[in-house]
Order: sequence, then C-alpha cells, then structure tokens
Amino acid sequence: MEGGFKVTTVFKREFMAYFRTPIGYVFIGVFTALSGLLFYLNNLSTLSGELLIFLSQLTLLVMLLTPVLTMRLLCEERQRRTDQLLLTSPLSLWKIVLGKYLAAAAVMGIAIVLTNVCTAIIALYGTVYPGEWFVGYLGFALQSLAFLALDMFVTGFTKNQVPAAIAAFAANFLLWMLDLLADKVPAGFPADALNFISLYGRYEPFILGQLSFASVLYFITFIAVCLTASVRVMDARRFSQGGSA
Amino acid sequence: MIEVQGVSKRYGGVEALRNVSLTVPNGKTLGLLGQNGAGKTTLLNIITGYLAPTAGRVLIDGYDPLLEPENAKRELGYLPEHPPLYDEMTVEEYLRFVSALKLVQGKAIPAHLREIIRKTGLTEMQERLLGHLSKGYRQRVGLAQALCGDPDVLVLDEPTVGLDPKQITEIRALIRRLSAGKTIIFSSHNLSEVRQLCDRVVILHRGEVKLDVPIGEVGQSGAVTLLCTVQGSEKRLVAAMSHLDGVRSVSALPGAQEDEVALSLSFDPAALPEKQVFTLCSAMSTPILRMARCDDDLEQVFLKAISE
Ligand SMILES: Nc1ncnc2c1ncn2[C@@H]1O[C@H](COP(=O)(O)OP(=O)(O)O)[C@@H](O)[C@H]1O
Ligand SMILES: [Mg+2]
Repeated sequence: MEGGFKVTTVFKREFMAYFRTPIGYVFIGVFTALSGLLFYLNNLSTLSGELLIFLSQLTLLVMLLTPVLTMRLLCEERQRRTDQLLLTSPLSLWKIVLGKYLAAAAVMGIAIVLTNVCTAIIALYGTVYPGEWFVGYLGFALQSLAFLALDMFVTGFTKNQVPAAIAAFAANFLLWMLDLLADKVPAGFPADALNFISLYGRYEPFILGQLSFASVLYFITFIAVCLTASVRVMDARRFSQGGSA
Repeated sequence: MIEVQGVSKRYGGVEALRNVSLTVPNGKTLGLLGQNGAGKTTLLNIITGYLAPTAGRVLIDGYDPLLEPENAKRELGYLPEHPPLYDEMTVEEYLRFVSALKLVQGKAIPAHLREIIRKTGLTEMQERLLGHLSKGYRQRVGLAQALCGDPDVLVLDEPTVGLDPKQITEIRALIRRLSAGKTIIFSSHNLSEVRQLCDRVVILHRGEVKLDVPIGEVGQSGAVTLLCTVQGSEKRLVAAMSHLDGVRSVSALPGAQEDEVALSLSFDPAALPEKQVFTLCSAMSTPILRMARCDDDLEQVFLKAISE
C-alpha cells in the first residue's frame, strides 16, 4: 500500500526544519566545539591516544544537548498548533513519532560522524584499531540514541519548550546515574533493577572495548519502549486535552 | 457523510459540548452557527479526530476517526481555527508536504499542486516563506492545505474570520465553488455567510444544539420579530409584554447595558406590534431607546435560539 513509507515524509520535513532554523547548526556547532575542547584536554594536552575514554567523556555533552534536539519535535508543534495537521492526517501516530525521531537521530548522527576528526588525529600520531573504533562508536551511538528516545518521551508531556528541555536533561541524568544509586539501596532486587536499567552501566563494556550483545539489545529495547510510550502520551492527550498542559 | 452521534466533551470542569448529534449528508454543506465559546471549535476538533469526545462518537463515511484513523482521515480536509502552517517552509514546499501526508502519489503531486495553488489564488506567493505571509494569505494557504489530496469531506473552522471584506468575498466564493460534490461543515458566527453558503444550519449555544433545519425552512413561521431596547426592569417588562395581543414569545437578549433591557418579541403578522409596545411602555414610563423590526429570518431564528 502506498501509505507504508510515509515515515519518510515526516522525516524529510523535520530534518529540513532543523537546518531552516538555527537549531541544527547550533547543536552541531556546539557539540563539535565542545568535543574539540574535551579532545584537547583529554588527549592532546596529555599526549594520550585513548579513543574510547575520549568518547565516553562526550556522554555529558550528549546528555546536555539532546534535549535541544527533541524539545522542538513535539512541543513546538503544539505551540504553533501544527499538530492539528499531523494528527488529522491519515498518518498513524507511530509513523509521526518515528519520522520525527529519525530526523533528530540524523542530526545527532552528523555530530557523531564529525567527532571522527579527533579519531583521525589519533590515527595520525598513534594507532586506532578498527575493532576498537567500531565497538567504541557503536556503544556511543546507541547510548546517544537512547537519550534521544528518552527525551522525546519526556518532552512530549508539555508544550513549553524550556521546561521540557530541563525535564529531559534531568531524566537523562537520572537514568545515567542509576547504577550509583544502586550502591545505596539494599542489595538484591532493588539494586539489581537499578543496575539493569542504568544507561551508564550498559555503556560501560563498550568503554572497555567489549562488544556486549546484551547491551546492544538493551539499548534497542529501551529506544522502542520510549518511542512507544511517546505515542501513548500523544494518544492519551486526545482524551484529556485541557488548555494549560 | 459526517455523522455526529450524542457527542459530549468536558475539559476538566468545563462542559464544552452536551449530547450533540447532527448529520451532514454526502454533497451537502452544513453551517454551524454559534457565538464565541459555543463549542464550535471543540466539535470540529472532535469530528476530525484531533480530540476524543467524552461520550458519543463520530463517523466519517462510516469510519470512526479514533478507531480507524487511516480510513476515516483519508477523505478529510481540515482548516482549523489557526491554520497549521510551518513558518520556515515556502507555500509550495508546505503544500507538497501536505499532499504527501494525504497520500497523493508522488507522480501526481506537481499537477495536483498547480491546481490547488491556482484555485486558491496563491500562484504569486508560491516561493514565499509562510512566516512572511499576511493573515489573508495564511488563511488561503490553510484552505489550500485542506484541499490537498482532494478530500470528499471538508471541515472549516471560521474560514473567513479576521479577513478584510474583499478577502471574505473571495474565500466565500471559493467555498461556494468547492461545495459542488463535497460534504462540508463549516463554523461561523456570521449569519449572512451561513445563509449564502449552506444547505442546512445548526445553531450551537453553550454546547447544545438549539436548532437544526434546512436553510430553506428558516423563517417560515410567518411571525414578525421586533427588537427593542427599553430602560426599565427586565422582569416587569417581560411580564407586561407577554400579555400584549398576538404575542407569541418574549425573551430578553444577553448583552444589554446596565438598567437597559434588550427584548426580542415575536408577534402574529396582523398584531400592530410597534403601536402596542409604544402604548405599553408609555403607560409604564419605561422609555423606548431603540425599536426595529428584524427582517432577517435567520437572525430572528438565531436570536430566539440563543435567548431561550
Ligand atoms: N483546551 C481547553 N481547555 C479548557 N476549556 C476549553 C478548552 N478549549 C475550549 N474550552 C472551553 O470550551 C468552550 C467552547 O470553546 P470553543 O469550542 O473554542 O468554542 P467556539 O469555537 O464556539 O468559540 C469555551 O467555554 C471554552 O472556554
Ligand atoms: Mg472557535
């Protein structure tokens, strides 16, 4: 049926919108500049050729900046009431959410690809093993995509962009730190559960250069759960809609 | 065909719609008339599936937009109260995007767009950014957007509000041209617009349907309506006037100034209403500030419906 690929219609519009407005440039510019700074502090000034540690340090940047990408996807749409077009079109909610998510992921992808300038510099003066590169980037990309999905879910709750971005950052931080919290709760199920969910815990093997299939599977499931939840929130709003939220 | 069956909607404590039912048969145009806050926008948002009703249901060509969205919305074009425009896109880009959303085949899009752009008089504006358009043009793009995919059912929320008189005439002419073969429901608080454009009129007041008749049957009661504004007590005046000869109904209209009463009086045609009212008000020492016959059938019906 011809409707099957309409995800790309939403994707193309969203991706274009990132670069018609300053957000796409600001995101990529700030991400690249700050990752350059981290690279300088972490590698250049200490003459270290560690790629995986450098990548792991970019996590903080990702946590801070993904809300900037997601806040406009749903909030701005409601503020400008353009959601009335999407939600009354024959496109299903999940196609809308997926198209938007993929557009944000593509912008994120550009920023991640650009960090390879740092990889190239390391390779020039030292060695980067292809396996190490692959594992490092796989883990880093999956973790970034997980933050993006989480933020898409969180920002879907309000139409005010600034509170949405702050809440998204808080959620990122919380999910990233759960394993630290796990040390403080009774051992057994609560601690295990926190460790299981913690995004940092899932990313850790990749920093050590290990390809963890359990983690890959976890990240993919996490993304699917967040996107599904995001669809549910939009669906529920039709029933509850009040002016203020 | 649009069927609204027993729809109610609450926003928290506010009951915006109460048990609303109406039908728009295929190829007909229905005008939804009501004051601000009557619930028009809420009803149209429910018809298009943007909001879910608290009770009742809607069927578009037999499909419920909440249960079978892809089928129900395939043949639906919606112009919401605020046209849903992406300011960073050009007119042409935007309409191309909407056409793709409405499942127009890629190959057919260029010809389809040309047709819509011509119909809505946007040819010269194609390359402009939506964010730079004036209110009138934004409304036209909003209408153009609703036409993408050539839907059978059009839902238009106050399509002419905020436009200048020339634009209003143009948009009305466009709607009239479109109405051939399409099923249309549009809201308005403008009586002459409804009279010009629709086959059937529904009056919505405080969330309830007060009247639902073919436009041709409006005002066949043969009554004469007198509108008068009098200085005095509402209760005494309404009571006294109810006893005049040939009076059918007396009702106070909302929105009068303090210690003034605006009344709508309905009389038998032979009753000499002005003379009677004048004599009564003189006797009661309640000065008549304004008095006029209302020759407009629809206005009479509307005033009666909302003052009950
Ligand atoms: N999102 C909302 N939250 C709470 N109340 C609302 C909301 N939207 C509309 N209302 C209320 O519902 C009633 C009907 O509003 P609306 O459908 O916009 O009427 P109209 O379009 O006829 O002017 C009004 O009293 C309005 O204040
Ligand atoms: Mg309205």
